[in-house]
This record gives sequence, structure tokens and C-alpha cells, in this order.
Amino acid sequence: MRLRLIKKFFFPRLSLTIVLLILTLIIAFLAGKEFLVQRQSEPIFPSSGLSYHKKLSDYFPALRNTWGDTDVYIFEGKEPGGCILITGGTHPNEPAGFLTAVILIENIFVDKGKVVIIPRANASAFTHSDPQEGSPQRFFISTAKGKRFFRLGSRLTNPIHQWPDPAIYINPSGQKLSGSEVRNLNRCYPGRPDGLLTEKIAFAIMEVIRQEKIDLGIDVHESAPEYPVINALVFHENSSELAALVAINMESFGLKLRLEASPPNLRGLSHREWGDAAGILAVLIETPNASHGRLKGKPSPDLIVEGIDKFYPRASRSGRLFVDYPETGIPLKDRVGRHLASIISLVESFNELYPSKKIKINNIPDPNEVALKGLGFFLHSPS
Amino acid sequence: MEIKKTITSSLMFFLFYLFAASSPDLPKFSQPALITSAGQNAEVQMVAVLAKRAGIDHILNKMATGQDLEGYKSLLLVLGASLKGLGAAGIDINKELERVKSLIEFSRQKDIPILCLHLGGEERRGAQSDQFIKACLPAAKMVIVVKSGNKDGLFTRMCQDLGIPLVEVEKISDALEPLKNSFSK
Ligand SMILES: [Zn+2]
Repeated sequence: MRLRLIKKFFFPRLSLTIVLLILTLIIAFLAGKEFLVQRQSEPIFPSSGLSYHKKLSDYFPALRNTWGDTDVYIFEGKEPGGCILITGGTHPNEPAGFLTAVILIENIFVDKGKVVIIPRANASAFTHSDPQEGSPQRFFISTAKGKRFFRLGSRLTNPIHQWPDPAIYINPSGQKLSGSEVRNLNRCYPGRPDGLLTEKIAFAIMEVIRQEKIDLGIDVHESAPEYPVINALVFHENSSELAALVAINMESFGLKLRLEASPPNLRGLSHREWGDAAGILAVLIETPNASHGRLKGKPSPDLIVEGIDKFYPRASRSGRLFVDYPETGIPLKDRVGRHLASIISLVESFNELYPSKKIKINNIPDPNEVALKGLGFFLHSPS
Repeated sequence: MEIKKTITSSLMFFLFYLFAASSPDLPKFSQPALITSAGQNAEVQMVAVLAKRAGIDHILNKMATGQDLEGYKSLLLVLGASLKGLGAAGIDINKELERVKSLIEFSRQKDIPILCLHLGGEERRGAQSDQFIKACLPAAKMVIVVKSGNKDGLFTRMCQDLGIPLVEVEKISDALEPLKNSFSK
């Protein structure tokens, strides 16, 4: 009697449970596989002008074998001169910052002085994307012989690599911030050698500045079109003359640059602490990126590369934005082109102000040609 | 039609510019010059760069007040309010207006001519910036403005009413020539 009851009620449920369990495992396996795809790093193919390929952990060994370690590319001229640091990927959800660094690494030759490029400043933040955003993991750029993939990461360090967040974060400069900013590299300067992962990354970048004797640091970012600091250069007060010259030089590209002084009471940011703690000239540059804005429509690889969005042109027409947002979008090639124009102008202006420390970089892609021919033309073709 | 319009307007602009830049009626300024902003904008630094390129003996003093003008032969006021700039300087808009008024008052007493420049374009307009423009223009001997900042014709109207020459330029770097000319002998 009891056995019959068990047979009648338990067995059908058991088999259902088993089927559901197997299904769950299949889904978990597939989702896990997709999840892990984000950890595969996109290849970068440096130009033959590369002098050294280092790791951030070469400057601060505590980062070795951690997710904070990242590539450092050094281009050194035959003649001595000034030294520039360019960081992309401080915020991996701002693709023009990362791509500008990649384009430079794959094209430039340095004759005089030295250029140090860190394309994925926060490597951990490339390994995940912001939850609940539906962002694509990758976007693609066509080159002559095939597509190249690049990751769209998050603004913050991966919580798998640094967890948990405090309720309130007091950064190394003593500023109180909301808890999640503990994983925002651009709030953690000048870093803590014995701190959390993101603070260690910030400290390691300060070590690069000190050990490579950097004169000028350029942190390359993007901002949402509804944010006032856009198409802008934020400068440390030690760089105000440089910034003014850059804005004037940018006019030769037909581009208007908004200048913003770095507020002295806003602490932990590159344009503040690189200047204060290491005494170098420090600037941060921004272009408009709809894919990390709050007003965007469906996020897609096309939105990232072409910048075409359903809602931003509407917001632009009703005067809600700090930039004109056309129906045709603000494509990645234009944003990278603008960053390249800023970097060219920064080098020109630096040379004008510090003639004894002249830097000569050859083969930076011309911003107008980037707009005309596309980014793929200036990227290595995978064979 | 559109092309014709563009050509005519650029020709007109060019002629106006030629006339403005070479006109013997334009006031002349003497060196050394003190450069400061009216509104703590970032363009003040650009004017210092242009002055350097033009070979004008100058000093940039972002917080200059009346007394600091002692010994200078002209005052360059760069117009436009920047909230970021005011924040960085640690002052509010009223304090800044007071500072600007003290400069104007001192230059009136000592007969130091004022050259006003507005280089920030459309974005450096609006209620707060206009407050400075309206406070400074009546004291100016000459005004240089980047065209996009004069889209609504405020500078044109005010300069006409006040009888002061206005030089409109296309972009910031174009302000170099009229600046140079106004300081040449
Ligand atoms: Zn950013």
C-alpha cells in the first residue's frame, strides 16, 4: 500500500525533478561559457616602433598574477626628450578611450622622447559588464582581412576580484565617496600599496609615472551626452597654459574643445592626483558616448561603433544634452579621431612650452582620415 | 542660392574684418597689460597665450582687483562666467562681480583703457555670463568677440548703442591679429 503510494506520487516527481535539474545544469553551463568569454583578452598588435612590452607588475610586483596586472607599451625615440603617459581603459565602458590607445600602439613610431601607453588601465573591469544594462560583451571593427573584436567592460573593477564594497569609501586622498567607488580606478589615486585591488592598480600607475619619469599624463575617457563635461579637456592647474594652447591648436582640426579646470576639492582623480602627488602635467579628455548614457535605447554593438541611437537625437532637439546629437549618430571613429586630434595638439603645445623636452611622434593617424577611412583602416588585419 | 548667400556673407565678413583690423579709428592700447577674467572662465588663459604670441608685455592675474592695476597701461577683460572656475577660485558670482567692478572703477579713475574679449562662443553665454558682459561693455574702448557668442546680436546692439568698435572673429586663434594690431604703434 505504502509502496504503491510512493510509486504513484514520488516517481513522477522525481523524474520531473531530474529533468529540471539537467536543464538547469545545461543553462548554467551555457551561461557560464558565455560569462567566461568576457575574460578573453582582445589581441593588440603593436607597430614595429615598439621598444618594450612590459607589465604593470614590473613596476609594482604585488600585482603579479592578479586580475589587476595589465600591458604597458613603451615607444622610445633614439633622441632624448619629454615623456608622455597615455592611459585608455580606465573605464572600459568608454570604448573611444581604449580604442585611441590601441590605434596609437598599432601605428606610432617615436623619434624623440618617450611615449608610454597603458590601453587597459583597469584590466579587471574589462572582464565583466555592468549588471542589468543588457550591454553587448563585444563589438567588432572590420579591417581589410577580417573583423577584430574588442570588449565593452564596466566602469568598475569586477566584484569577483574585489569584494565586498564598503558602505562608504574613504579614498587614499581622504575623500568620502559612495561604497561602489572603491572599485572606480579614477577615484582611487594616488593608490595604496597595501590597499584593495583597485587602489593597488592606482598605486602601480603612480609607480609607472615615477619610474618612467613622465612629464605629461593624458587619461582618455568618454562621457554620456547628458553630462556637462563633454568634448572637453579637464586640466590640473599646473597645466592651464598647456590646456589653453591645446584649445587653440585644436581649432586647426575644426574642433572646439571645452576647457574645465580640475576642482581642487575633487580628490582621487587622475587629473588631480597625478599633478598633486607626482607633480606632472595632468589632463583628462572626454568624447560623447551614447552607449553608457542613461537615455539610450537598445544597447547593441552598432550603438557602440556607429553611435546611432533612437532617443539621443530627441533629447538633443529638446535641449537636454551638452552636445548636438544627430540622427546619424556620433560614431566611434569620430570620437577616436577627436581624441587623436587632442593628443596631437597636446604634444604640439607641450613642445611649444617646453622646447628643451621636445617629443616627436610619427605616424599618428590623421583625425580627418580616420573619419574618412574608418578605424579598421588603421588597425592591424588579423590574417 | 545657399552658396551665393555663404559667399556674400563670408565676403562681407572678410571686408568687415579687413576694415576693422586696419581701420585707423580703432583705439590703440599700450603695454604693459593686465589680463584677468570677468567670471573666472578658462578663456582668460587663452588670451594670455595670444598676448604672448602677439608679443604683448602682459601679466595674467586671475584674482586682480583695482589696486593691482597700478603701473599697467591697459586692462584686458575676458568675459564669461564659469561655475567650475568660480568654484575653483572659491568665490561666488557676487564676489566676482565686486572684483570686476573695482577694476573698472580703478581704470576709470586712472584712465586705463579696457579691451573686452569674449572667446567662449555660445556656451559662454546665458544669464550669468551676460551679467558680466553688461557690467563690462560700457567701460570698454573696444570689444573682440568670437562670432558664435554673438549669435543673438547682443554685442552688436550694445556696441552700437555705446559707440565702441566691435571686432568679430570666426575662431579663437583669429583673435590674435586684432589683438596684435590694437597694441601696435
Ligand atoms: Zn571615464
